[in-house]
Amino acid sequence: MADGGRKPRQAPLPLTALLIAAWLVPGLGHLLLRRRARAAVFAAVIVTAFVVGLLLDGELITPKAGDPLSLLAFVAILGNGALFFAARLLDLGQGVVTSPAFEYGKTFLLTSGMMNLLLLLDVHDIVSGRKDW
Amino acid sequence: MLDHLALMSLDALLIAVFFTFLWKRDRSERLRYFLKVFAALLLGAIALGWLMYPFPRG
Repeated sequence: MADGGRKPRQAPLPLTALLIAAWLVPGLGHLLLRRRARAAVFAAVIVTAFVVGLLLDGELITPKAGDPLSLLAFVAILGNGALFFAARLLDLGQGVVTSPAFEYGKTFLLTSGMMNLLLLLDVHDIVSGRKDW
Repeated sequence: MLDHLALMSLDALLIAVFFTFLWKRDRSERLRYFLKVFAALLLGAIALGWLMYPFPRG
């Protein structure tokens, strides 16, 4: 039983595996929990934000020495999961600081990563029974 | 593509859709919540822009 007497939901995978899947592919966690419509919406929103961020010359921030805030930004960017790794492999998201859209691009990339991280919490809540939909 | 208002609106739209589906379950509830969040983000940013206008950058 989860706290408050709520009944945990039967998950198709162990929680850790489910969270890793949800992190790697936006919406996959909800899809595996049979929340198909929400999974589709979340995937569409996050992928759109990520692609727009790249198109706007945004930067996939990595930790920089002497800049502790860049570590926090990196955590947010890493939230994009497989999208982040795919973009790095394709050499995208280097960031063009002279581009007028650079800051917007960065914002979109940070936003998409943080939204995906929030989905992990939602998946956890569904599995633990705190959320029944 | 580089229009600031359009980009801000797109960001607000995506965020509002995301939180609507994250937190609200019923259709009518979702619509009301979406409109509220979208308007708050968009109008809030415009209001903040106007408030900052008198202050010099340097």
